Amino acid sequence: MILTLAIFCECLSADEANFVVNAVDSVQPRMVKVYGAAAGRVEGYATGIIVSDSGRILTTQGVFLDGSQIRVVTPDGESHIASVLRRDREHQLALLQISAQTPDFFDIKPDDVGQKGDWVVAVCNAFKVADKQEPLSVTLGVISLKTSIEAKLNRRDVAYRGDLVLIDQITSNPGAAGGAVVTTEGKLVGVIGKIINSSETNTRLNYAVPNSVLAAFLSNEKPASLAAKSAVKEAVNLGIKLFSHGGRNSPAYIDRVKRGSPAHKAKLRSDDLLISLAGEKIGNVKDYELAIENLVPGQDAIIVVKRGTELLRLSIVPAAKE
Amino acid sequence: MKRFFCLLLSFLIIHWVGSSQLVRADDELSDKQLQLVRSVENQRIQAINKVIDSVIAIYGEERQGGGSGVIIDPSGIGLTNHHVITGAGVKGWGGLADGKLYEWDLIGTDPGGDVAIIQMKGKDKFPFTPLADSDLVQVGDWALAMGNPFILTEDQVPTVTLGIVSGVKRYQPGAGMNQLVYGNCIQTDSSINPGNSGGPLFNLQGKVIGINGRGSFKERGRVNVGLGYAISSNQVKNFIPELLATKLVEHGTLDANFEDRKGKVVCSQVYEDSRIYKAGLRPGDHLLEFEGEKILTANQFTNLICTLPEDWPVELLVKNKAGKEMTYSTRLYGLPYAKPQQPEIKKEEKDQTPEEKEQIARMRDMIDLLSAEPGTVRHRDINSAYADRLIDKWRLDSVEAPKDITEWEITDRIIENGEPIGQQIVRLRSDGSFELIRKTDDSVTYSWDGKQLVEQTGDVKKELSLVETKLCIEAVQAIGILAANRFCDLKFFGELSLDGSDKALRQTSYRMKIEDAEEDAFYVWMSMEDRPAQQEKIELLKAGASKNCDQQPGGIVFENWGDENGLKISRSRSVVVGIGEKVQRIYEMQSVRRVEQPAAESSPE
Repeated sequence: MILTLAIFCECLSADEANFVVNAVDSVQPRMVKVYGAAAGRVEGYATGIIVSDSGRILTTQGVFLDGSQIRVVTPDGESHIASVLRRDREHQLALLQISAQTPDFFDIKPDDVGQKGDWVVAVCNAFKVADKQEPLSVTLGVISLKTSIEAKLNRRDVAYRGDLVLIDQITSNPGAAGGAVVTTEGKLVGVIGKIINSSETNTRLNYAVPNSVLAAFLSNEKPASLAAKSAVKEAVNLGIKLFSHGGRNSPAYIDRVKRGSPAHKAKLRSDDLLISLAGEKIGNVKDYELAIENLVPGQDAIIVVKRGTELLRLSIVPAAKE
Repeated sequence: MKRFFCLLLSFLIIHWVGSSQLVRADDELSDKQLQLVRSVENQRIQAINKVIDSVIAIYGEERQGGGSGVIIDPSGIGLTNHHVITGAGVKGWGGLADGKLYEWDLIGTDPGGDVAIIQMKGKDKFPFTPLADSDLVQVGDWALAMGNPFILTEDQVPTVTLGIVSGVKRYQPGAGMNQLVYGNCIQTDSSINPGNSGGPLFNLQGKVIGINGRGSFKERGRVNVGLGYAISSNQVKNFIPELLATKLVEHGTLDANFEDRKGKVVCSQVYEDSRIYKAGLRPGDHLLEFEGEKILTANQFTNLICTLPEDWPVELLVKNKAGKEMTYSTRLYGLPYAKPQQPEIKKEEKDQTPEEKEQIARMRDMIDLLSAEPGTVRHRDINSAYADRLIDKWRLDSVEAPKDITEWEITDRIIENGEPIGQQIVRLRSDGSFELIRKTDDSVTYSWDGKQLVEQTGDVKKELSLVETKLCIEAVQAIGILAANRFCDLKFFGELSLDGSDKALRQTSYRMKIEDAEEDAFYVWMSMEDRPAQQEKIELLKAGASKNCDQQPGGIVFENWGDENGLKISRSRSVVVGIGEKVQRIYEMQSVRRVEQPAAESSPE
């Protein structure tokens, strides 16, 4: 405790031995600039961190990776062609490979680094202010909260699900995603997540995807071809037909349950109102359609329905769609 | 004042919360820790208190427009953005933290770099904050932005936002024709919002590191997104003399292009009638250094040249096609601006209301300013007032001439090509006269009674004209020292004006022009106020009869000023030639003796 205070004091003393300077010096050599394809209003660039000595780059997932060519610019200013090894749409992460030795890298461990109130330094290439070997932009803030988000009221707003670290500096900027968030000792807290923007209030969430999520993504060493396949999820069938006269925004009332179907087995009935499915809140027909995309045939999920005045929590085993 | 206090208090509380969380929300603080945290916060508050009084809330004449600024000199010289004054006008009101509004006049502006200088009026001594050396700013340094975002303040006390330096040497492209380019600028995450424009970015040592001027706003309207940009204080310094000279200033260009080729920065194009071509630069030459800085990318070169005014002398180190390293010096050309369009006024003059008339007059003033011939002095009287002020500052520390005539004998060693070639003995008197003997192979004696220079070779005496006096390197040395001691007035040699920004002894300097009735010019170069350990003092750096010191006999540079037996003297003087200041001859002071019994002929009896 005394130590952290001492560092804090030092930073304000006349000689300005600033803790940020030290943190940044160790981080910059492990950062890259990523350039892909711009599509309409979606920016074609991002930030990335080096995660192995053999040229592996962790960055944010996005359509910018779908262009004909992805370029990664290492801290020495060299430009490398990159290939996508793996993507994770749930956590909006992507793993790239460049053919270069990268001796400076972040050794990602699933450690929970940093606590609420700790200073954190974010390093990223927001607005691609830095070019070639120019160092990335640095901002200072504190960890506001460690939490998780589940709600997907509107997919366009929230493209992320899971644990996250809220920070109070502004990182929700184009090109910032994939940047590093580190403690004042230079320890990685996580990487800056993709922009989450509320279409209602036009406010944004500034957050980092924590190490635990990054480590889980990285340890899932599947070949690129398999990964590409797994991205196309197998469609499931629950045997439910919803009332849909009011279109996709109408409440998700069950119209009919098919005999012998998973829904029938789960004892669902007509007129049940769907409340949630596999942890996803179901507010309307659209939510339901999105939620079933994430189900895996044979893997049971919890479905919550309202029947009359009662809330029922039922288990359902989805079947593969014929 | 109460509100001001509240502002500080809330500032303290916000950061108090931040730092208490640093020691974990659930931990109790010991008394010692509490003290430590408080002392840190006090330091910060002190840093703010030190500078807050120098921050200006800028308004137009009718309190229209709005922006921020900062006073950098006790006489009330203030900096703001060019884009602030284009909204506010050529004069207006400036609010200070004392709650009062002061009138200001626009002095000079730099549309290319978005900097303007204003003169605050109505007070003898204004609170001010000096400019820092922005080359020392590093990523992670604390940065305090102050100003008047969203025109919030009603009692003129500025808003304070704290952040860090996020990036240095940033480039942000301009708008319009060569305008508002931010080269080699400072990026900060301190909140910069509309209205902060023109306001200062301070370090915690109480100096101005930059002038806030823009942010990355493109995506979400004019919402602060944590990326603000400040024009570096060192760029501002390069332009201050030009701006005080009341000019519309252009930025410089070499008239040559460079591009990255296989890790090298190579000249891709150079205009054959350009000065740099004549100096020797050829396409294919590999640029190694610009202004003493190693060049690694073409961007870096662009970034650096952006910060220099037209006519600035630059030095390039290149490797030519033959593999030989060459140094080329030249002055930069100006990058032109588009001329403003004359406004269309539909109403006949007799139909205009008084308000409309004023508005049209203000618009005309602005158009006049923006259509001024770049690089020319717009207001002769204002210009010479600043020139006089600089001369006063220069002689701030020199004492009044003693009542009784005092005489000093200076002995210098003359060195050429590293070899001593003789001696120079100067007898300086406080009545402004001197005698000088150069003992070399071609010995000569000069005497000056304050008006007339007489040259004596052997037994031959010759009265020299004023033009010849200005070209006499020995006389210029002696007169430079006399003037530094207030023993003579440079105005004797002609009308004094501030000519603009220049470099002398590799420093940014004020170039002053002394023009006699025949329009024969003589130049002196004065240092800027902010050099370390100078404390607002300025010094004579160089003197010469031509701007580039390229005509015989070149110019004199004065180094190592100090006090010797009550005489302010430059202990090392050199004859230099060209804008590269190639040294030809050195005069090294060996001794200064105060002569107790002045020579009989100059004694008043």
